[in-house]
Amino acid sequence: MSRPRKVFFRRRKVCKFCADKIDYIDYKDVKLLQQFIPERSKILPRRISGTCANHQRPLQQAIKRARHLALIPFTTD
Amino acid sequence: MRTYELMFVVDPRVSDEDVVTMTQDYKNMITAGGSQITSEENWGRRKLAYPIEKLNEGKYVLLYVSSEIGKTALPEVEHRMRQNDKILRYLTVRTDEDLKRAARRPRPAAPATTVAPDGGEGAPEEEEV
Repeated sequence: MSRPRKVFFRRRKVCKFCADKIDYIDYKDVKLLQQFIPERSKILPRRISGTCANHQRPLQQAIKRARHLALIPFTTD
Repeated sequence: MRTYELMFVVDPRVSDEDVVTMTQDYKNMITAGGSQITSEENWGRRKLAYPIEKLNEGKYVLLYVSSEIGKTALPEVEHRMRQNDKILRYLTVRTDEDLKRAARRPRPAAPATTVAPDGGEGAPEEEEV
C-alpha cells in the first residue's frame, strides 16, 4: 500500500577547478570551456555547475574572451 | 616585467606566407618598442564558431610578449590591427598577474605531493589497490 519513500541522493557538487587544481583558466582551452557552455551556448550558472565564486569569475572572463575570438559561439541557432 | 598574449585572427584568403610576413611586421613593431617575443604559435586555419564578415574560417596567430613596465608598443600594434581589414579579430591579454596569482595558490597541492613520495618510501609494503 504505502508508496516507497523517495530517497533523493543529491550528489555533492564540487568546483571542477578546485578539484582539478586548475588555477589559471585559459581562454584558449576550448575543450575546458566547452564543459561550461551547454547547448544554447550560455554560460552555465554556478548553481548548476557547482563552480566556486573564485573560479566562476575567471571562467566567465575566459569564456567571453574566447567568444570574442570566435573560438566558442555566442549563441547556437 | 609584464607578460602579454596577443592573439589575432586573419582572413583565411590571405596566403600562409603573407600571414607570416604580416606577423613578422607586428613582431618587428613589438621588438622595436622595447619588448621581447617570448614565443609564438601559429594555429593555422581554424573554423570560426560564428561567421565574421561572412567568413567561416580564420587563421589564428598567437604571440607571447614580455616587456618592462611602460615599454611596450602594444597600443600601436592594436591600432594598426584595427585598421587592417585582413585582421578579423585581435585580443591582447595581460597575463603576468593572473599567472602569478595562480602560481601562489596551490597551497593544498604542495603538501599532497610531498606526502605521496614519503608515504611510498616509509611504507613500501603497502601496495596500491
